[in-house]
Amino acid sequence: MPRKKPRFHSLKKLNVRQDWSRWSLYSISQLRAPNVTTKTYFQQKWAAKASTRAYHGEQLREKKWKRQFKRSLPAVVPMEHKYLARYDGSEQAAGRGMGADSEDKKRTPPMTPYMQMTYYPLERRLDTAIFRALFASSVRQARQFVVHGLVNVNGKKMIYPGYQLNPGDMFQVEPSSVMFATGAQKTRSSLARKITREKAAARAEEREKNPARPPPHTSAVESTRDEPTPAELKKHMQALIEQVDELLEEDVKAKDKQKFRSFRQSVKKAISLWKTANPETISTLDTQFEFLKTQIAERSAAPSPKDPSAAAEPLISEEDQVKLRSAFEKLRLETEHTSAWNPKRNNAAPYATPWRPRDYMSAFAFIPRYLEVNQNICAAVYLRHPVARPGLAEVPTPFHIETGQLAFNWYLRRR
Amino acid sequence: MPPRLRSCNLSPSTASSPISSNASVRPQCISQPARSLREFSQSPCPQTTLRRRRFYEWMNGPGRQLKEPLPSSTNYLGAYDRYGNLVRAGPGWSREKAKQAAGGEDQPAMKVEEVKADTDADGEATKVPEGQEDLDALEKAIREGEAEEKEAKTPPKDEEHDSKLPPETAEDLRPFPLNQYFRSQPVLSEDLREAIYQRVKRDGATVSLASVEFGVSNERVGAVVRLKQMEKEWVAQGKHLAIPYSKAVLDMLPTTPYVDSIKPANKGKRPITHEPINDLIVHPATRQQLFVPVSESRHFTRVDAGKAFDNNLQPADARIPHPELVQAERELAQGLSFEERRRLAEERLAKEQAEKRRIEEKKQEEIRAQKVVPQRRWDFVFKDVSVDAVGRDGRSHKGVGWRYGVPHDDRKKSVVKIPTKVEA
Repeated sequence: MPRKKPRFHSLKKLNVRQDWSRWSLYSISQLRAPNVTTKTYFQQKWAAKASTRAYHGEQLREKKWKRQFKRSLPAVVPMEHKYLARYDGSEQAAGRGMGADSEDKKRTPPMTPYMQMTYYPLERRLDTAIFRALFASSVRQARQFVVHGLVNVNGKKMIYPGYQLNPGDMFQVEPSSVMFATGAQKTRSSLARKITREKAAARAEEREKNPARPPPHTSAVESTRDEPTPAELKKHMQALIEQVDELLEEDVKAKDKQKFRSFRQSVKKAISLWKTANPETISTLDTQFEFLKTQIAERSAAPSPKDPSAAAEPLISEEDQVKLRSAFEKLRLETEHTSAWNPKRNNAAPYATPWRPRDYMSAFAFIPRYLEVNQNICAAVYLRHPVARPGLAEVPTPFHIETGQLAFNWYLRRR
Repeated sequence: MPPRLRSCNLSPSTASSPISSNASVRPQCISQPARSLREFSQSPCPQTTLRRRRFYEWMNGPGRQLKEPLPSSTNYLGAYDRYGNLVRAGPGWSREKAKQAAGGEDQPAMKVEEVKADTDADGEATKVPEGQEDLDALEKAIREGEAEEKEAKTPPKDEEHDSKLPPETAEDLRPFPLNQYFRSQPVLSEDLREAIYQRVKRDGATVSLASVEFGVSNERVGAVVRLKQMEKEWVAQGKHLAIPYSKAVLDMLPTTPYVDSIKPANKGKRPITHEPINDLIVHPATRQQLFVPVSESRHFTRVDAGKAFDNNLQPADARIPHPELVQAERELAQGLSFEERRRLAEERLAKEQAEKRRIEEKKQEEIRAQKVVPQRRWDFVFKDVSVDAVGRDGRSHKGVGWRYGVPHDDRKKSVVKIPTKVEA
């Protein structure tokens, strides 16, 4: 009888996996430095290899990884251009014979953690890079995206998860898949389902009790107003501009729709000052803005004699126009794109709507420096291979440095 | 996970009275009874093992803090102690209050002056060096800048600063607490990306110039421009950007803010350096230790040291990504006037561009030399090949065409068919 396949996330044997699950989080919190006192060296190395390989490229067979292993690990040293310009390096060899009397206190740079870089060749794989760029919630999911043809490399479809990215390669994942992978899952508890059922029943009952009655007739109130005076207009526009300033100052957040609506209403109010405008011609915000601008330009072109101060300076200065324009643009873009992903309630979407990040994502959210990611288009560029630098190794690994060292020693094949 | 102590954030009042400090050991962790059932199940699980009980205890205790992101802050495992308390938070801070404040368009960032005062009290606040060498110092500067930015966005309010969250320390940015050699490093903020794009595309700055100005490495500048360009194309095409995702992710990550020097509020502030730009790659020849006896009277420089390791190894001045900075510094040290230096720099730039043009022309020449026959689906391209490309034994993979005794491997079973590169 074949052996039962071990659980992927087991509480009996805690393994850290490359995913954003709570089991991985729990395993990370339970990790300890390796036991070096009671185990033989071989046992230590074996345990280190087993636990690190459960995280790094567990989807690969051991032989495939062994062939990729390299014993030379890349590193960089940050140089200071001022130092290089000032000294030619001979000062490091200067001893007492050169007149150096006292030994200066030397700055020792922090240690370069080479031993955490054992698995750096795996970071070059396309599936791992997609996971590291936060486009998928696990490496296996990233792998599935690639195999299903949702990933482009340099604009061409790439279906091999093992593709070795070259420095400068741009990879891009379908945004809807990224939203699905990183969004909260669409589950409803039995309680929530029960509540909605009860509510629906109550609503049906209500409907049965009092049948629909015709909506009350509302007469359109005709505003009988004269053409506004320039002073009034100016005041109104200034208020509008102030509002724009506020909008520009703060970042538009989850409540952006409300703000946008109120802003649009104020624009409408400004437009309603002119009688000539009818709602059809100025339905979109863009046309509204154009309308406002042309009207104001006309008005300022024909200066009224009774108010010379307003006529002297145009109602909207150039600067304010630019501000208004950029605020309009920003708001339009954000609301359009956000509402495209977050319709009011979309049962067809594979994630919980409105979109929110998946549980425990924030504990795993980091982007290593060898990637440059643009989240808006779900694309990233693999800049260079990961390197070690003083005090920092760029390969994200949850293990203690001694574990890394033991694993590296395992693959040196001198056991 | 090594336990983290919350010594620095204990306020003097709590530190003085031992009783109250004992009471405040676990203020943030909501002790909930271990849920007897999962969301989907109605019946209590009778045989919960010890391991499973511990797992759910941890998930409902310390792990609960990590379930949802902290508003406008990072939320890593390394920022919490073993009871699930946020180490850097003051005694008055609570998650609910922070969330409410964030909902009411207020952001829980402590004022920078206060933070600086705090760190001064600790005695670890040293003057941030301008140099590229110290990564810790660089990132600390970034974090302070970020806090400042957040503070600038919030309207000034008279609140007790206990309820605000100070910026992260290096320890708070560890997603893996056991690995002290890895931390979440800041990414470029949206504003900074836009600024880099505008500088290169609109102002026509070279990549290396933009790199020096923004403190961002050469490759990253190129990548940012490429990605931004693509983003603009998407907007023009009417494709939908993943804005909710982008906002959520950038809110969870540490970011490098953009200091716009044109704004009057930022007068006198230097731009924040994102990363060290002059990284020298460790050459494999220098990995081993070398003992070279040299007479003390000899002027043994970097160039000589490079020669000692490898005959082709150039000194660091030539191998760093920005050798022009070293050159400029040297000219400054020589005492040349501003006009002189400018003239020299322009000369160098012209020379560099001429070289680039020459290479480009050569490439174009090669392309023009090819004969192209357009077809319905594919174009046939004829290139000149040499018979000698097969090498001495006639088996080199560079050879063209079918050769007797040299099989094509590209359809064989055991040969890897994954492409090694995709042309951009």
